[in-house]
This record gives sequence, structure tokens and C-alpha cells, in this order.
Amino acid sequence: MKYKVNFFLNEEPMELYVDANRTMLNVLRDELCYTGTKEGCGAGECGACTVIVDGLPINACLVLAPEMDGMHITTVEGLSKDGELSPLQKAFVEHAALQCGFCTPGFIMSGTALLMENPQPSREEIVRAISGNLCRCTGYARIIEAIEDVAAQNARQGGAE
Amino acid sequence: MREFVYLRPGSIAEAISMRCEHEGCSVLFNGGTDIVIQLRDRLIKPDYVIDIKHIDGLKKITFSKEEGLFIGACATMNEIGNNEYVKTYYPFLADAALSVGSKQVRNRATCVGNIVNASPLCDTGTPLYAADASLCISGKDGDREVPIREFITFVRRTVLKPDEIVTGVKVPYVEGLRGIFTKVARRREVDLSTICGTVARVGDSYRLAFGAVAPTPVRMPKTEALLEGKTLTPELIEEAAKLARTEVSPIDDVRASKEYRLDVVEVIVRRSLTQLA
Repeated sequence: MKYKVNFFLNEEPMELYVDANRTMLNVLRDELCYTGTKEGCGAGECGACTVIVDGLPINACLVLAPEMDGMHITTVEGLSKDGELSPLQKAFVEHAALQCGFCTPGFIMSGTALLMENPQPSREEIVRAISGNLCRCTGYARIIEAIEDVAAQNARQGGAE
Repeated sequence: MREFVYLRPGSIAEAISMRCEHEGCSVLFNGGTDIVIQLRDRLIKPDYVIDIKHIDGLKKITFSKEEGLFIGACATMNEIGNNEYVKTYYPFLADAALSVGSKQVRNRATCVGNIVNASPLCDTGTPLYAADASLCISGKDGDREVPIREFITFVRRTVLKPDEIVTGVKVPYVEGLRGIFTKVARRREVDLSTICGTVARVGDSYRLAFGAVAPTPVRMPKTEALLEGKTLTPELIEEAAKLARTEVSPIDDVRASKEYRLDVVEVIVRRSLTQLA
């Protein structure tokens, strides 16, 4: 049996028929070919599949496909605008906040969700917000610095407090 | 994942009738952080998955001093942990909710799901045991409330009948209740509890609840009786910490040995009481 789901993916309206026994991650990657969202553990521990749903970061591997109905989903593909990377994506490049890159989309989504909620997070808040994302290459320091960099940019733009 | 039918009731009554119609072959689905994994690993093989997240009113969190706190079945861990009432009147419950999994998991996982799952190490169990919370249950024969201590009966066993669903959890308001939640795990974030506990105090009455030390979360009646009505002194705290060890029955598992757990129970009781003194 297929379930009709209507949702927004990176602000584009979508209508799709999905199986109940598939996850949002399966649908994004295998049916829509949005392969930026990665599968690491498939059990909500590594954060490689992090997407933003209705403003909040969640693990796409833990959402059943029919649940996508009515959701506003943002994946890493939705962050750049008119070919220009988002400030956080640029900061990851500038800080070389990646090595193999597999975990990077997940970190970018967790970081983006944090900055949406709190444009100027402290280092401690950043560390806590990315604790659901695993990286086996970088040792996290550069990832944290990249997010701090955008927080500092936001502080300059928002005026000194 | 094996095939199943996904159902999305719009009301509690509809959910109950689905539970009755598909008795024995359905599973209730809320945040899904446990259920999706159980489905994927084929630990459960339901023919019907009943997603209750679209039922009106189940996401609410309300509080008044007369009625106490009510947490709807679909309120997420982050919603609970960041709720002003919970942070003000039950900070130990907020700490427990925010100790679960990762931020991503907490945006989906629910407290009621955590309790219904009935794992001995459920993080939000001990604060609710210490606060004498009750589960609000609806079924085909009407509504009932069951104290959490009677709700969980064994590892992954509850008194919930096949037609029933838990609609929320009620936590009484007790003037002056102070508590401390402690979670000991292998790493600081995104881990299951090796041991968790809540030690709370109202005047000179004490409530001690521990998880991952017995088949269900437990209260410590002997230790509570020892402390009742007394002023905390270093000697009394020491006596209570030693007595607390005798009220738990931990096992060896992948996370820790029985001996380690006994030692940690003693340490948590000692530190928490010292802090509450």
C-alpha cells in the first residue's frame, strides 16, 4: 500500500506516494536523489542524516515515510541560494572544517538549526547542539570554530551587544 | 522493515477503536525514536502502526498549583526540558528530559514514550517516580489514572491493556519540593544511562528513585524511612548511602558491572543528599 504525502522540500511543494516501511531518509536519498543527507548508523546516534523539519533538527532515519505529510523539510541542498553557499557552508570551507566530508551535511544542518534558533550561540551551546553528530576525522575543533565564526558575523551584523 | 499499515487517528476515540480492531497486531507510534529501530531490527512485527501525533491536545503541557503539571503524550523531550513551568517547579525533570539522546532525538522523543517503553534505565522515569506522577490512560471502558510505580511492572512490561493508550502524565505540585537528577553514562551526551537517579526533598521528607539498578525504576522505602523527619548530618547521609545499596538489585551488563552500579548508587545518594542538606 502506498501513502500519498504532500510536503515542502527546500521550499518546493512535493507530492509523492510512499511505502510505510521506508524512512524519510530512504525517500530523500533513493526516491528523490537528494543524496546530501547521509546514512551513517540508521539509529539516531551519528547525526549524518540530520535535516531540519519545521525549524527543528531531527534524524531523517527515525521518521517513517508517511509521516512526511505536511512537513517543511530542509536538507543540505536547500541551504545555498542562487548558487551561493550559506554563511555556515562558507565558514566550513574557510576553516577546513572537514576531512572525508561524510558527516559534514549533518553538522551543517545541526549548526544551521542552532543559528536559526540562536544567532549568537556560545561555544558551550555550540558543543551541546552538535553533540548528536559524530565526526571521526576532524576532532571537532574546526567545526566548532566555523560555527563560532558565523555567530561572530551575526554579532557584528546585529550590532554589538 | 517488514510491511505494515500506517494509521493516523485524529482523536483518542478513533485510536482506541483502532487498537480494539487490530488487537495484538498493532503498535502505538509516537516520537518513533525507539519504535523505528525496533521495526527496522524486526524486534516487533506489527501489521498496523498507529501514529498518535495528529490527535488534538496531546502536545500540551499545562501547570497550575492546584492541578499540578500535565504533560501530553506527544510533548517532546525538548518541549518538556525547555518548558518554563517544568524548569521552575520540576527542574530535575527538565534535566532528565534534556539528558536523553541528542538534540535531534529530543525533538522527536517523548516522555510518555520513554515511560511506556518501560526500560529500567528510562531517563525520565526516576524524576516521575520521585514526584509520585500518574499516567492518564484512556481505553474502551473509559479513563483511568495509574501511579507510575504501579504502571511499570517489569522490564518492558506495563499494565497497559491492548485497547488502551496513555494520553499524558500528571505530576502533582508539592510546595517546596527540591530534587536532583543524576545520570551516569559512558559519555556525556547521546548515551543510555549506566545508572540514573533522582533524590528529592520536601521539608524533612525524602524521596529516592533509581533507574538501571533493578527490572524497573525503584523507590527506596527503607532509606526514605531512615531519613524521614530527620535533619541531614554527615553521619546520617553516610548511613543512608550505605542502606541505599541494599535496596537495589543491579545486574552486570555491557555498560557496567553489578559492583560498579552498587558503588555508584551509594555515591549518588551521598552527593545528592549533601547538596540538598
